[in-house]
Amino acid sequence: MNAGTALTQDQSRAIRLLGVPFVYAVLLLAVPLGAIVLFSFWTQDFMAVDTTFTLDNYREIADSPIYAMLLQRSLMVSGIVTAVTVVLAYPVAYFISFHVAPSKKSLWLFLITIPFWTSYLIRVFLWKVILGYNGVINSGLIQVGLIEEPLTFILYNVNAVIITLAHAFAPFAILPIFVVLEKIDRSLLEASQDLGESRLSTFFRVTLPLSMPGVVGAVLIVFIPTVGDYVTPELMGGAGGKLIANMIQTQFLQLNNAPLGAALAIVAMLCVTAIALVFVFLNRRWLRGRR
Amino acid sequence: MTDLIKLRGVNKYYGTYHALRDIDLTIRAGEFFSLLGPSGCGKTTLLRVIAGFEGVSAGTVMISDRDMANVPPNQRPTNMVFQSYAIFPHLTVAENVAFGLRKRSDIAKSARAGLVEEALEMVGLGGYGKRAAHALSGGQRQRVALARALILKPKVLLLDEPLSALDKKMREHMQVELIRLQRHVGITFILVTHDQEEALVMSDRIAVMFAGEIGQMDDPETLYRRPKSRRVAEFIGKMNFLPGQVVALSGTDAKADVATGAGQAPGTVPPNRTNRLLTDLMDKIAPGTDTTEDTETPADTAPAPELMTVEIAGLGTAQISVDQAPEGAKLGDAAVGIRPETLAILFEGESPKRHECPGVVDEVVYYGDMTYYDVRIKDVPQPLTIAMKNLIGRPVLEVGATCRVAWDDRALVLF
Amino acid sequence: MSLRVYAIAYLIFLYAPIVLLPLFAFNDATIIAFPLSGFTTEWFSALKTNGSLHGALTNSLIIAGCTAVFSTLLGMCAARAAAMSHFPGKGGITGFVMLPLVLPEIIVAVSLLVILRQVLGLDLGNWTIIMAHVLICTPFSIAILNGAFGNLDPSMEEAALDLGESRWSAFRLVTLPLVMPGIISSMLISFTISLDEFIIAFFLTGSDPTLPVYIWGLLRFPAQLPVVMALGTILVALSIILLTIAELFRRRGIKRSGAKDTGGFL
Repeated sequence: MNAGTALTQDQSRAIRLLGVPFVYAVLLLAVPLGAIVLFSFWTQDFMAVDTTFTLDNYREIADSPIYAMLLQRSLMVSGIVTAVTVVLAYPVAYFISFHVAPSKKSLWLFLITIPFWTSYLIRVFLWKVILGYNGVINSGLIQVGLIEEPLTFILYNVNAVIITLAHAFAPFAILPIFVVLEKIDRSLLEASQDLGESRLSTFFRVTLPLSMPGVVGAVLIVFIPTVGDYVTPELMGGAGGKLIANMIQTQFLQLNNAPLGAALAIVAMLCVTAIALVFVFLNRRWLRGRR
Repeated sequence: MTDLIKLRGVNKYYGTYHALRDIDLTIRAGEFFSLLGPSGCGKTTLLRVIAGFEGVSAGTVMISDRDMANVPPNQRPTNMVFQSYAIFPHLTVAENVAFGLRKRSDIAKSARAGLVEEALEMVGLGGYGKRAAHALSGGQRQRVALARALILKPKVLLLDEPLSALDKKMREHMQVELIRLQRHVGITFILVTHDQEEALVMSDRIAVMFAGEIGQMDDPETLYRRPKSRRVAEFIGKMNFLPGQVVALSGTDAKADVATGAGQAPGTVPPNRTNRLLTDLMDKIAPGTDTTEDTETPADTAPAPELMTVEIAGLGTAQISVDQAPEGAKLGDAAVGIRPETLAILFEGESPKRHECPGVVDEVVYYGDMTYYDVRIKDVPQPLTIAMKNLIGRPVLEVGATCRVAWDDRALVLF
Repeated sequence: MSLRVYAIAYLIFLYAPIVLLPLFAFNDATIIAFPLSGFTTEWFSALKTNGSLHGALTNSLIIAGCTAVFSTLLGMCAARAAAMSHFPGKGGITGFVMLPLVLPEIIVAVSLLVILRQVLGLDLGNWTIIMAHVLICTPFSIAILNGAFGNLDPSMEEAALDLGESRWSAFRLVTLPLVMPGIISSMLISFTISLDEFIIAFFLTGSDPTLPVYIWGLLRFPAQLPVVMALGTILVALSIILLTIAELFRRRGIKRSGAKDTGGFL
């Protein structure tokens, strides 16, 4: 029938099927990404784009301290958000996996994912209502009598950005950890206790190492997208809370300097990718030999 | 019987993996044929090649003298019972059984409901038609799968490990039922199984497969009694292997020895019939020295065969007929195989046998109806496994006990 | 036990902002702050007569509808391929298709903006947002549909073929009914994501804004905030309804294919 061909009928059918979304992703993701790489080596000349190859954009990013400062702040905010989110999420994922009856697990997951699916913009804005000058926290604390003047360190600064992002990405952190925890063979934990470990030391010697792939997944899935968010810093960050994504957005939509914006986007993406790769590399011994 | 399925030089590659190697196979109409082998031997691939789910890399598949090269599964005169049964969970039992009738213009719509009920009754599920398929038990699913395939009256029914998902009791019950069903419908059944007992019990013929090749193809009795290779012998049942040496070809006629009366002592104990199908089968095809009533030797009735003389380490000299040895056997080293149930431990009071040697019990495994002993014999490199029936009054020996081990020329297989 | 208390506190943290929505939507004050002053449905009535809001809503519904259909179709291709036999490079290709799941949205947004506006010189419109939303929704569709297709016994379709059906009719009669809950679930999720998506829409929107872009504009006017609250309440309620339906379908699909429920959407 198909003597000599290396692929079976089934395989070629699978390739054709997967080809459809793949071609779509190439056209709408790979090609545009290639375009911004190209653009980053060009310059904006008022209304027109000068297509001579140049490293000017990258030179400018390296020379102006504002970009380095924004990038540093962005990575720091994303790092803190990631750490806070994952640390707060782990016990919840653990609780659902180990302490919730199997029939109730999907209800819990459903409850946790619902806020994630509701309008992001409105959720961010609501944090403003909560943390604001006459917001829920301030007016609540004043009514109780704990404070007399509204607290100002919780809005229009980096803290506010971190709180809001940590809230927005919570389900992203819980799900990968939960999935890995679910796969852990429960008899391994019994074996550990049978061999003399306490419940706590079993957690640190067995459960935690086995769940590390989920933690790594959670870290990546929170860290990478948060770098690209400009809504939260715009609404919550005030003047001192702007991040690199705001700068990219400004370059593209307000300053109409697409090449510089493209270069910024690429630098930001390279930094994120590098950090993600280092993180994965550092955790490679937990990831090896799984699945 | 006419030849129904002919496979010639069938080869199948998955990339560089050679899944089927030069398969030549002829299956006759009305036959219950089994493909037996360990997992990964290619037996399921071969079945799927016949069904049309896998193309071949080389070779031809003919069904009823028609080349199947470009015939898709939906146009082949074959139907399949899948290992998972593949009962459509969104349909009722009757809708499942009637599924294949949709494309059959030769069957009137009005007749279909009757056919479905008939098919369900045939598999013992009469009246189950309205049930939801996902609520059925494993055994019931299998019956639905059978009815769904047989209602189309295929020339060949392909069964992919159909009993492996069932528990032991149910499996034994379904073995008998499948044999009955096959006789009733007269359709060719091709069964894929890794269970040698299942294959021996059910099949007219068995092809034993290893690593994509057919190791041996024979009826169950020949396969069990005269395995052509050590791996076939090891896969089907248990066998002891001893180092031996062929010292003479075309030896003298054995009649002289037999005529002295020392060759066979009449067995005095009636065979203990158990319910175990395999044990019955072993009795039938491999008469052990302790159970058979054997007053006349084959040498008396058959023309004297050509003989070979074999020296077996620790046991002594044996004379065997050439059909117990591979074709073209030469003088020199050879492996000698003996099935555990063809060896016998002689208990007190039993008359001496022609071949006998002293031994010491090394290991005892008690199975209820049988006891398996490992017995050490001087100059035999490994202890011999001996299967003894636990007959009335027969003791179970303990480890360390000394005993006499008897063996018979006719039970030997040379490799 | 303490773990349960923690988990419940965590849920409260997750829901805290959403709970505030209806409070302020029905609050009879233009300032979004405590204490609440009284009950009113004034803000909801204001929504009814707002023409530009209705335009934005219509746009968003069209975009979300198209996105749901196309991303589910692409997701079906990928999920079906995933359930079929392995071939070299499969993991890499699937990984690439899933990439938008972890890519910062701003990167997707700016790269599409560059190629559409600067390279191809096209005008932006609903279709540009649809294209981008299909790109980011497809990974979610794949994740959901992988569950539906992956739980399916591959011999089901083979059995239909074996019983005389063609490839297409085997798919239609056996596979499609069995994965239908997954398809509906995928469409609802993609619809919800697209309806709420702001970051990309803000870059790629043409002259007619989508609903989130319109809301973004409103956020700058304090007087409009109670109206935003009312609108948000409706949107959140709608999202929850859609998600609940999606979840029910997803569970039914898993039950139908006879597998055990292992968890949520991702």
